[in-house]
Amino acid sequence: MTPRPGPHSWGETADPRTADALLEAALDAATGPGVDHADVRLVECEELRLYAHHGAAPDERVEHNLGIGVRVLLDGAWGFAGLPLGDHTTAREAAHRAVANATEAARVNTERVTLPARTAVTGRFSTPVRTDPFAVPAQERYALLDAVLAAATAPARVVSAQAGFNAKRQHRHFADTEGSRQHQDFTESGAMLMAFAADRGQVQRRSYPNSFHGNTAAAGWEYVRSLDLVEEAARVGDEAVALLTAPTADPGIADLVIGPAQMSLQIHESCGHALELDRILGDEANYAGTSFITKDAIGALRYGSEAVDITADPTLPGTRGTFAFDDEGTPAARRPLVTRGVVRDFLSHRDSAARIGRAPIGAARSDGWAYPPVCFATNVFLEPGRGSTGELLERLGDGYLIDDNRSWSIDERRLNFQFGTEVAYEVRNGRKGRLLRDFSYGGTTPQFWGSVEAVAGPEEFKAFGMPCGKGEPKQWGFLGHGAAPTLVRGVRIGVA
Amino acid sequence: MTENQRDTGPRHAVGEDRALTALDAALAASDADATEAFLTARSGEYTRFADTRVHHPQDIVEQQLMVRVVVDGHAARAATSRIEDITGTVHRACRAARAQAAAGLPGHAHPVAAAPEGRPDAPVRHPDTGTWDVGERSRLAGHAMDAARRAGGAAYGMFGRATTELAVATSGGVRVHTSATEAGAALTVKIDDGSSHWTDLGRSSTALDTHANITRAIGQARAARTPEELPDGVHDVVLGPLAAAEFLDFFGTFGFTGSALADGVGAVAERRGHQVASPLITVADDALAPVGLPIAFDFEGVPKRRVTFLDRGRVADAVTDLASAALLGTTSTGHAHIAREESPRAIPMNLVMSAGHTPEDALIAGVERGVYIQRFWYTRAVDTQATTITGVSRDACFLIEHGVLTRPVRGRRFTESVFGALARVDAVGDRLASKPLMNTWNGCASAPALRIRGFRFGSRPATSRDT
Repeated sequence: MTPRPGPHSWGETADPRTADALLEAALDAATGPGVDHADVRLVECEELRLYAHHGAAPDERVEHNLGIGVRVLLDGAWGFAGLPLGDHTTAREAAHRAVANATEAARVNTERVTLPARTAVTGRFSTPVRTDPFAVPAQERYALLDAVLAAATAPARVVSAQAGFNAKRQHRHFADTEGSRQHQDFTESGAMLMAFAADRGQVQRRSYPNSFHGNTAAAGWEYVRSLDLVEEAARVGDEAVALLTAPTADPGIADLVIGPAQMSLQIHESCGHALELDRILGDEANYAGTSFITKDAIGALRYGSEAVDITADPTLPGTRGTFAFDDEGTPAARRPLVTRGVVRDFLSHRDSAARIGRAPIGAARSDGWAYPPVCFATNVFLEPGRGSTGELLERLGDGYLIDDNRSWSIDERRLNFQFGTEVAYEVRNGRKGRLLRDFSYGGTTPQFWGSVEAVAGPEEFKAFGMPCGKGEPKQWGFLGHGAAPTLVRGVRIGVA
Repeated sequence: MTENQRDTGPRHAVGEDRALTALDAALAASDADATEAFLTARSGEYTRFADTRVHHPQDIVEQQLMVRVVVDGHAARAATSRIEDITGTVHRACRAARAQAAAGLPGHAHPVAAAPEGRPDAPVRHPDTGTWDVGERSRLAGHAMDAARRAGGAAYGMFGRATTELAVATSGGVRVHTSATEAGAALTVKIDDGSSHWTDLGRSSTALDTHANITRAIGQARAARTPEELPDGVHDVVLGPLAAAEFLDFFGTFGFTGSALADGVGAVAERRGHQVASPLITVADDALAPVGLPIAFDFEGVPKRRVTFLDRGRVADAVTDLASAALLGTTSTGHAHIAREESPRAIPMNLVMSAGHTPEDALIAGVERGVYIQRFWYTRAVDTQATTITGVSRDACFLIEHGVLTRPVRGRRFTESVFGALARVDAVGDRLASKPLMNTWNGCASAPALRIRGFRFGSRPATSRDT
């Protein structure tokens, strides 16, 4: 298994044989009296980030880290330790600490977990990359950044703009006491742009290709080149200025066509999190929250309308939720979560699935080597329907076309939500009209999804990568969500 | 006890000698015009539990050494977790800075910090946190779960401790290291449809008073059963300290930062000196105060300074780092920060709302009809100019009738202006509680309870801004 030259042949652990020796050292140290199961993740990660604010010096950084995380199940109790990697001594130290933690937990636990036996799964995966983002000449990045900021700040009332690029590459190596040995090489590339216009005490923001952190794809630099950043930057700057004098929508009940970026966040907050089985079982009750969905919901709970099909599929390429094996070795597979509006499965990992007597779907995700796996969304998306956005607007008739999140909030059960968007357009007789500012809408999850009438076709589908937080101490999950524009009837607007 | 005295606190991830040796090596490896290196390390032990089990007992050690080099006015950073082998990392940063220069980018990177005259002292190590080991924390978790179960409910939470280290060295003469203990606790108790929450953190595990707070949380959850709906509308409220601290999360967003001031937007740029809150309200970023998570200096090696945001209700100052200070023609207040997946900028990190003199019971006694709010949840900014945020109330919330807590009420969505709410404060509690600041290194917000005359739950009504 000699690494091939190319975008994945970097770092200290590119060669799986190097990683295997460390994995075995940790596994050896993790076995002992009472240990039912152990798994080890060795992760090497490098991130390149270049950000610039208009008029200020750019900030460029590259960050490398390498560490090992060991998890053990001892007398039905978990223990975990994550340490930055030194040598084989570190691997053994992490194992010893994990065992010590599990030993103390076993003393007080009244519930013990038993994992059903699993056949070993061994394999390799690499993100397809056409252009290694780490091999792109710095000159190209600088020139593009300069052009993007110049275009975004051309309008007079744009007071500030920020743009940036990011690239990330990882080697993730996994081994467990059941014999699984997995080696995955990931590459991500992304970009972000925000322009702020201000006038007489009002500030408006426009973003591209998504708000807040921009967008990141599982791909090489070809993704950044595909974004037409300079052209879009000019549009973003103009729109930020136009929003300053745009009117607002009247509060009330309205029909909406919600664009892919906002729908992706709607999916993330009200579907992805709500279907995490560890939340459903109470594991996150103190921090991330619980769920209105109960563990007996499968096949019984009508979550949305007949138009709502929600799928988890980490095998689809190109997103931050794309992988071949999750972080406890479960092979990736396409899984329907909601079919024709009815809940069909949960986002589960081995611990949570074992507790309700189901097989895990492979949603164990962890933030590198330093954190234990929890249930995070993988690549969770709303299945497209049929037709173009134009056809969907015709079907809408009178209402609003909205997109790009500005503000989001949802209660701890993922039931009561409120969102704001950067842009909204009045739609009359199926035609897109005036730009509106400060648009907001709110509701409750089943009511919202129950009011979905139609979803545009696959040609209108867009996917987005986003970070998310969960666990104590908080760890980040990196996920993929996607949707085509979606028609929702009878939504409360003007709530903020 | 000073940080240089021996104690039995949580183990160090790196330690002073290793940290400073690594930083010295970084400076020695650099051929840049100026070099800054900082090392962050955290050795954390966390006992996380839910209902029947400690489900996430964790030891997590993280460390990073980041260098920033300046070449011909161009700056770049590189970082690694391999702190014993820093040369290659330094060279990467130098190459990147030179590439910027070769590309003809504007070269106006801010300089590195020079050695300060003197250094503030912050109370950062408490030896009692050393006794809060995995055995003790597991026993406490077991006690919380057992006690909640006996009360007919369940307990969920996390008890943790850590040693946080920060070391900085610059070619300008800075060479400092600090090592701080940290103890944190969070607990949610659910009994039937009632719930209660407690969070606190600081440098001392004893100060958390965990046993007493477990008992208190169980009692509150029992009292919070069978909640009724809170009608939309304007209510007089008493915000518990955790609810009040939620307001502090947004001061960075509202423009109390050097970058916002340089852009000419936000509270300090547009409303400095304006009375936006009650004269009873003073808010500062104060990393030297003996509350929350004090620390003496920032990532750039600049000593922390207290920065007042609201001085008896009036908008005052903004926090800065070296970059924003250079833009503003001032000096850094010691608030450099680098958040994950974001560009570096100065942000508030140790927010403190000054306590008043009124016990919480007296705040409640002063309300004829109103609502007590234990905490807010999932608050997000809606309009940073209007300081409007949205979120929901949750856990142990009660109606106040004739000055006493009566029936529990369910959580309710609110959308309110933070400045507007603070302008209607007529009494401030006498005790601070602390909560972590999300996505902020060593971030903490500490606040007292507040009594606010008129706080809106439900949707925001139309205002003149909408026309």
